[in-house]
Amino acid sequence: MSELKLAILCCHYTNEATAQDVADIPAEVVIKRFPCSGRIEVVDILRALEEDAGAVLVAGCEKGSCHNNTGSLRAEKRVEAARKILEEIGLSPERVQMAFIPRLDTGALVEAAKRTFETLLEISAKGETSS
Amino acid sequence: MIIAERKPIKRILQMIEPFERIAVIGCRGCVAICSAGGDREVEILAAALRLARKRQGRPLKTVEDTFVRQCDPEYLTPLGELKEKVEAVVSLACGVGVNLAADLYPDLKIYPGVDTSFYGANPALGEWEEKCRGCGDCIIDFTGGLCPIARCAKNLLNGPCGGSQNGKCEIRPEVPCVWHQIYERLKARGELEKLTQIFPAKNWIPAGHGGPRERKRPDLQMNSQK
Repeated sequence: MSELKLAILCCHYTNEATAQDVADIPAEVVIKRFPCSGRIEVVDILRALEEDAGAVLVAGCEKGSCHNNTGSLRAEKRVEAARKILEEIGLSPERVQMAFIPRLDTGALVEAAKRTFETLLEISAKGETSS
Repeated sequence: MIIAERKPIKRILQMIEPFERIAVIGCRGCVAICSAGGDREVEILAAALRLARKRQGRPLKTVEDTFVRQCDPEYLTPLGELKEKVEAVVSLACGVGVNLAADLYPDLKIYPGVDTSFYGANPALGEWEEKCRGCGDCIIDFTGGLCPIARCAKNLLNGPCGGSQNGKCEIRPEVPCVWHQIYERLKARGELEKLTQIFPAKNWIPAGHGGPRERKRPDLQMNSQK
């Protein structure tokens, strides 16, 4: 894992942000899209960390606005499951964050990504090495 | 089905500590249905183990597969080739699968990735409840289909005990007293006379207290000597 890499796992319908939108974040930001945040599995989060991301942001639609009804609620549960696994292996669970984003609100997604990056910096400042 | 639960990852990491190449093998039987050892759990555990080992500076290579079942020899045959490619196997099958693999492949280092818990039902998503103890001497025809061996904390055959309060168990108050339920069920079915039978002390030999149990059907045994 790299302290300077952030992975955003995002529902395709929640947001269409591009790398350019998150260019202000002083880190390598990888955006991976899914047909629905409910399709994001625990293993997708873990693999993002394996692929050198220091933190992962899972972004889904605001509660009640997922067009698959429960997609982002499922994503939230998978984030919780991934966090428990990180705790088990001695990593800060805060490395994985969930954000409920208003549809097509790129600003909200970028803000959530910035918060995730700040959380990652805090974790690193505590001396937790991830690799 | 057989209900199992993944062991703590730290415990599994201890088991595989000496190895650099392992296989994580799931089972598409009961443990897949109870979300402990199917395809999804295999890839999650393998990723978690790799991540943990990467952090330790000792990268781990994993092979991931899920067999149709691990409780039948024919489905375990891939282990014959696999043991040449990896140093150890973590099986997410129930204890039956791990035991059978250990019987059939004595030189294979196979470790359990789950704790096998009980025989249970799946009343709702993400919930499993014990309903049967596999005691080998079923009496639920007398008890309205409700098992006092599995569902009474004291395994009482002639309950309820004095600790049954307002239909709840004194051991864990959130658990219904099965003997209370049995009474209500039989009453509703017009079968209360079944409670007039007094059960003698239970013979626990069919439950396994006489050693490992086995069942044989000579009519199905192609290689039977009899």
